[in-house]
Amino acid sequence: MKKFFKLALLVTFVLAFSLPASAQQEIKIGVIYPLTGPAASTGHVLLEGVKLAAEIVNGKYNLNMPLGKEEGLPNLKGAKIVIVSGDHQAKPEVGMAEAERLITQEKVVAIIGSYHSAVTATASQAAERYGIPFVCEASTSPTLTERGFKWFFRTTPNDALFAENFFQFMNDVKKKKNIDPNPVAIFNENTLFGSDTTKFEEKFAKQYGYKISGIMNYPAKSTQLTSEVQKLKSFGAKVVLQTSYIADAILSVKTFKDLNFAPDAIIANDAGHIDPEFLKILGKDANFILSREVFALDLTARKPMLKTVAYMFQKRTGKPMDGSSSRAFTAMIVLADAINRAASTEPAKIQKALLETDIKAEQLIMPWGGVKFDPQTHQNMLGRGIIVQIQGEKYHTVWPFDLATSDVVWPYPKWDKR
Amino acid sequence: MEGVFAQTLVSGLFIGFLYALIAVGLTMIFGVMEIVNFAHGDYLMVAMYFSYWSFALLGLDPLYSLPMVTAALFALGIITYYALIKKIINAPMLAQIFVTFGLLIFLRGMAQFLWKVDYRMIPQTVLSGQLQLFNIYIGKPQFVAALGAIICNGLIFWFLKKTKLGMALEAVAEDKEAARLMGINSDRMFALAWGIGIASIGVAGALLSSFYYVFPEVGGNFGLIAFVVVALGGFGSVAGAFIAGIIVGLVEVMAGYLLAPSIKFLVVLALYLAVVFIRPQGLMGKA
Amino acid sequence: MKKIIPFAIFLILLILFPLVFRNPFPRHLMIMIMMYAAMGIGWNIIGGYAGQVSFGNAAFFGVGAYASSVLLTKFGINPWLGMCAGCGFSVILAIIVGYPCFRLGGHYFAIATIAIGEIMLGLFMVWDFVGAAVGIYVPILPESFLNFEFHSSKAPYYYIMLVFFLFAIAVNFVLERSRLGYYLRAIKDDPDGARSVGIDIQRYKMYAFCVSAVITSICGTFYAQYVLYIDPQSTFNLMISIQFCILALIGGLGKLYGPVVGAFVFIPLTELTRVYLGSQGQGIDLMLYSLLMIVLAILRPQGLWGLFARGAR
Repeated sequence: MKKFFKLALLVTFVLAFSLPASAQQEIKIGVIYPLTGPAASTGHVLLEGVKLAAEIVNGKYNLNMPLGKEEGLPNLKGAKIVIVSGDHQAKPEVGMAEAERLITQEKVVAIIGSYHSAVTATASQAAERYGIPFVCEASTSPTLTERGFKWFFRTTPNDALFAENFFQFMNDVKKKKNIDPNPVAIFNENTLFGSDTTKFEEKFAKQYGYKISGIMNYPAKSTQLTSEVQKLKSFGAKVVLQTSYIADAILSVKTFKDLNFAPDAIIANDAGHIDPEFLKILGKDANFILSREVFALDLTARKPMLKTVAYMFQKRTGKPMDGSSSRAFTAMIVLADAINRAASTEPAKIQKALLETDIKAEQLIMPWGGVKFDPQTHQNMLGRGIIVQIQGEKYHTVWPFDLATSDVVWPYPKWDKR
Repeated sequence: MEGVFAQTLVSGLFIGFLYALIAVGLTMIFGVMEIVNFAHGDYLMVAMYFSYWSFALLGLDPLYSLPMVTAALFALGIITYYALIKKIINAPMLAQIFVTFGLLIFLRGMAQFLWKVDYRMIPQTVLSGQLQLFNIYIGKPQFVAALGAIICNGLIFWFLKKTKLGMALEAVAEDKEAARLMGINSDRMFALAWGIGIASIGVAGALLSSFYYVFPEVGGNFGLIAFVVVALGGFGSVAGAFIAGIIVGLVEVMAGYLLAPSIKFLVVLALYLAVVFIRPQGLMGKA
Repeated sequence: MKKIIPFAIFLILLILFPLVFRNPFPRHLMIMIMMYAAMGIGWNIIGGYAGQVSFGNAAFFGVGAYASSVLLTKFGINPWLGMCAGCGFSVILAIIVGYPCFRLGGHYFAIATIAIGEIMLGLFMVWDFVGAAVGIYVPILPESFLNFEFHSSKAPYYYIMLVFFLFAIAVNFVLERSRLGYYLRAIKDDPDGARSVGIDIQRYKMYAFCVSAVITSICGTFYAQYVLYIDPQSTFNLMISIQFCILALIGGLGKLYGPVVGAFVFIPLTELTRVYLGSQGQGIDLMLYSLLMIVLAILRPQGLWGLFARGAR
């Protein structure tokens, strides 16, 4: 008899725990990234950024960011964020299919994605068709916010804004160091990224009163760049603005050295020049290159909250936080904040809340002025890039001056004087 | 700008020597057994990876690992012949095309699987730095590569024309039946052709890895260029490949200089089309 | 008569599919299968039947996609008309390419098709009028058959693709039994013999190539209207061209059902390998397919794949 009683008690116990907990609402957010294929490592890094943000939102922490102190979403009775991921393999039609799957089968209330601009284009199109908010955290092609979409929001600055950063930086350096960065030459690769950037550089050069002494759009993945660099030399510019992916970035610096080319400054545009391989392969030859970046770990000096988050990220993944994971993290926070303010999972209410977003600079781990979406284009107007310089084979933030941890070295030292 | 023009010419010339070396194996294989090796560029990729890993794991400068890489690729060529090519010597062309093309895809897939798609480059080599002649700069690695290509091409040419084994190879290319009647084992000759052909790619890859980056798809463009060179030089002609390689190198840089860098590769491809339409046997090929 | 029954069952299953599977994802998969099958059939006509291996058929796919999209975005021309224009352009391209190239031997032709594919890619990457590297966003219009856009459901896209697929099958069927088909087989099996009985090899290969171009071009326009965004990388891609060959080879060269079987096997298999083996990028499935390709080309099993047997040189 005793045995039976014990068994019954055990069974009841087990049943009690296997019964669904008092309906804690789950908020499903879809994320679409390249989880297989060439960009898979970046895709996973982005995913980790989003997951960390969700963990912070869901858990009890003491961080000065939206939902950084509460557990779950308070306006939705502590509801927790659940992430559902999709893999787009860098193919636009798969991105579209994944968006549809997440929306119709997984019933996500919003989507974050997708790194590759071409895939973000189609995935967000699906979201637009279904009326689901889509937050873009890393695709910078300006055309994405020029489509008149109502459901598409972009937190990251776009390539136009990044190109403008070059000229703002040069103006600031001009004042501070009393040097003349005119004329400039443009040396960009010729795929989407490079050609977009060229257009904006031309536009802002005119706006900021800079003369362009030559433009060179070289084919990405050339077998050699000697003639291109020779031609670049002949432009006689003081500053070279360069946009390259990793292979060409490395090849160009080697060619610069071989041809003894050292203008007053080389300002690169993220991508290849901030890839870890760049520094690894070039070693001290990489010194003194300037680059626009979206993020830098040395910002922790000015942003203590970043230190905590970066540390958490490093512990979770074994990798340092970077521009991709930090922006993915931020997008999740922005979205969670909007859903909370909407106090609802209805897409239209989330959309409205997103439009009303107003997050202050101190509440972000990014070096931005805040998050506020333009009512027409839904582009975050307060974002900005930073400029880093490689000094002593490490990246240092040198601009904006109020976030800088090191003074900029200008001009770029000649090769025989290093 | 005179200086730029001269510089452009010189870099075109030097890369042309390398293109010639890459193409010579392709033309030799075709000359001996009339098979087009679509996977040719991807053996270059394999050679470059061997070079890279010799450096990364054993600390060997590509110049020192060159003999090893060449030997490895020689073996690879022979293995490819006995494992695959031998079986399709007399097969319809469709089958031959599919086998070597399948090999292309297989090599790329394997590279992607084993070594991922990241770009890799050997940081500092024994050959870093540049040489200066008047106001023309030549990277040391490029100079050595060109030199190596000339030497290697010369060796192959000498081998084919002046040694007994080489002449046997040519005999098989001329007329397989007649060669057999003279006691030459065509099977072994074919294997040798593959061995030498792929070994020359090994040399090219080792030389290239001292200044170019390697990734699974790197064989693509170089492979296409090899076809252009072979078509221009004439399928089967080693001397033709040498001259054509230089021409293609010059055309590429001139197109970049005179027209626009973004389309220089397209001009090279257009050159292929022009050659096969106007003079399919190329400069020195068998009609 | 016997062959009709399996085909009819196949057809009925295809028609019923969207009624059973109502979620967009399975429908999307079937649409992709049918699209690739149709283009595989297009490839097979020139590659399997006429024996000219083309590694550049994606050029027609791209031309179809771009023709209709550019005409729509720049001139407001209806995509259905754009599709016809795309077919026209593709035929012109086929003639320009085919006329000089067919005189070349198989290798020259194959390499030439690769060269042309790459040239198209390179050109479209720098040509501003068609959007260069940015690509083209097809404007989102109210859904209707006339606009060739549907938003609330994939079913209309599915049935349109089904029609195109059946069209490709029909064309192949008719061609097989026509004089053109007869000539093509003769040309492939014994070109010298064919020439000696007065068959104009050039002309018939050209017809085959044009048919191939049209089928592929139609699918290109469909793709543009389905995904609503195109760029050079997703349309003028060498991998797309290669996939057509793999499909036809796996399923059976020179047989009507070849590419169909190939597509129904290959495409879902790609999905599976991606899900289970994908962590290393595409490496493994590429290796598998290429091995299959090599083995099939070496073994050349008779019966189903007998068309290798008396190949031409």
